[in-house]
Amino acid sequence: MKKFMQIALGIVTSVGGFLEIGSVTTAAQAGATFGYKLLWAVLLGTICLIFLVEMSGRFSAVSKHTIVDATRERFGFPFFAIVLVGMVLVAFMVLVAELGGIGLSLQILTGLGFPWWAVPVSFVVWLLMWKGTFDLIENGVSLLGLVTICFVVAAVKLHPDWHAAAGGLLPSLEGDQKAKYGFIAVSILGASISPYLMYFYSSGAIEDKWDVSYIPINRVIAVFGMSFGGFLSMAVLITAALALKPYGIDIEKFEQAALLMTTALPKWGFFLFAVSMLFACLGAALEISLAISYFFAQGFGWNWSENLTPSKDSRFCLTYTIIILIAAVPLVFGIDPIKVTMISMALTAATLPLAIVPFLFLMNDPIYLGEHRNGWISNSVVAIIILISFVLAVISIPLQIIGG
Amino acid sequence: MRVKRLLVLSLILAAACKPPTPAEQLDSILSWLGTAEMVGNVWLRHTTPDKYSRQTLELSSSTVGQISKDLLKSPPAGIDTAALDSALTKSRAMITKMATLITAKNSPEFARQLDSLRADQKALKRLSDTIESKQ
Repeated sequence: MKKFMQIALGIVTSVGGFLEIGSVTTAAQAGATFGYKLLWAVLLGTICLIFLVEMSGRFSAVSKHTIVDATRERFGFPFFAIVLVGMVLVAFMVLVAELGGIGLSLQILTGLGFPWWAVPVSFVVWLLMWKGTFDLIENGVSLLGLVTICFVVAAVKLHPDWHAAAGGLLPSLEGDQKAKYGFIAVSILGASISPYLMYFYSSGAIEDKWDVSYIPINRVIAVFGMSFGGFLSMAVLITAALALKPYGIDIEKFEQAALLMTTALPKWGFFLFAVSMLFACLGAALEISLAISYFFAQGFGWNWSENLTPSKDSRFCLTYTIIILIAAVPLVFGIDPIKVTMISMALTAATLPLAIVPFLFLMNDPIYLGEHRNGWISNSVVAIIILISFVLAVISIPLQIIGG
Repeated sequence: MRVKRLLVLSLILAAACKPPTPAEQLDSILSWLGTAEMVGNVWLRHTTPDKYSRQTLELSSSTVGQISKDLLKSPPAGIDTAALDSALTKSRAMITKMATLITAKNSPEFARQLDSLRADQKALKRLSDTIESKQ
């Protein structure tokens, strides 16, 4: 019964914590511009995420190491430093985007511009980190994020052509706007396969004291939690295809995305969107702040745990305090969070090999995993998807930037 | 080696890339006109806050103005520039008017402006299709 409850809670929190500003913006852009054609990118990203999350949990449950401390131990500090710089820079941009997402949600609800919300929002995120426990962040905020299920309700209420939608699950070549098509595909993959999730999940397994008996639980949570989460992203894309595309809306600003559910749910759609984004971005901001702090603390061998009081892991707490403070600065100056989101998602995809390749080495190392190391299926699926993301990123990012 | 080749290929492709074409600029204008139309439809049902609706219409108007300015600097060949300028100016004025009508809470006049905006959108869409077919 206890294990069943753990699985149920794990799946529910995975679903509630799945969407964030990156996944919503990229899926909505894809749907509004290309209809169902980019559903394949969401599917591919979700499959890869299922494998990576399962591996992250298995790695920590068996080896009792987090991915970060094992990376440093196995590859040495110089290599770890390169991974640290790359991952932290990208995660920092994502944090700016998430804090901006909370501000934008409050902006459309109140009319007060998001730069005014940057400091109060950052303070609330910091306070939750300072006072909260790992369970509060993992379960509490993710449960609030369950409101994002309204995207599925909206998609179903718009009566999509399921046959055409199924056709979008197969990759297709776009005739016009090739660079934009590739860039959005890359951004969707970047939004789905966020390395910070691996670091967060692996550290969470250590925080929750997982052992080998958790391997089946971990597998069920990874498969079902991430699959249902992937459905949420697909629902956003389908809703955008049916609600925004007929108006010819090509999402450039959050204000346009806010119209997403107003056709399907005329009375509550606008407010549900704002509240969904508020909770989704809050959950993601907390997870990213934690992931960055875990990265530094585990890499440099400091005390770390979200369950310890700040006096017992002061350097860990100082890290997220500084990171959150710095992340608020560009928002105060009015940098558009949607632009930051799109760039950070594409950069995430471009830097994926930096995070995933060493992780694949670790997952095949018998010293850490013994008989629980990866099989050829896991290795192949992840390697192929990462290669696709990287190639797409290398080709489409310069095209999109220079092409405007 | 393969990565290097990919990087070089990307740079060559990137260098060959041009700024937005007139057709793309018109598409972007149509996107913002579509946004204004959708905001208008939703506001008439009284299901969005007035502030959001007004601010989004103002944003649509200023963005349409900015893109129009760029578009008219190098207008598409074979198109009556004066007519295009007039259509864009009229659309922009209508969106600005709609924003002020929200403050005045004048729904009947707002609905009339919205109908005119839809008609203008159709005309601009035809123009955009003509430009695209000529490319």
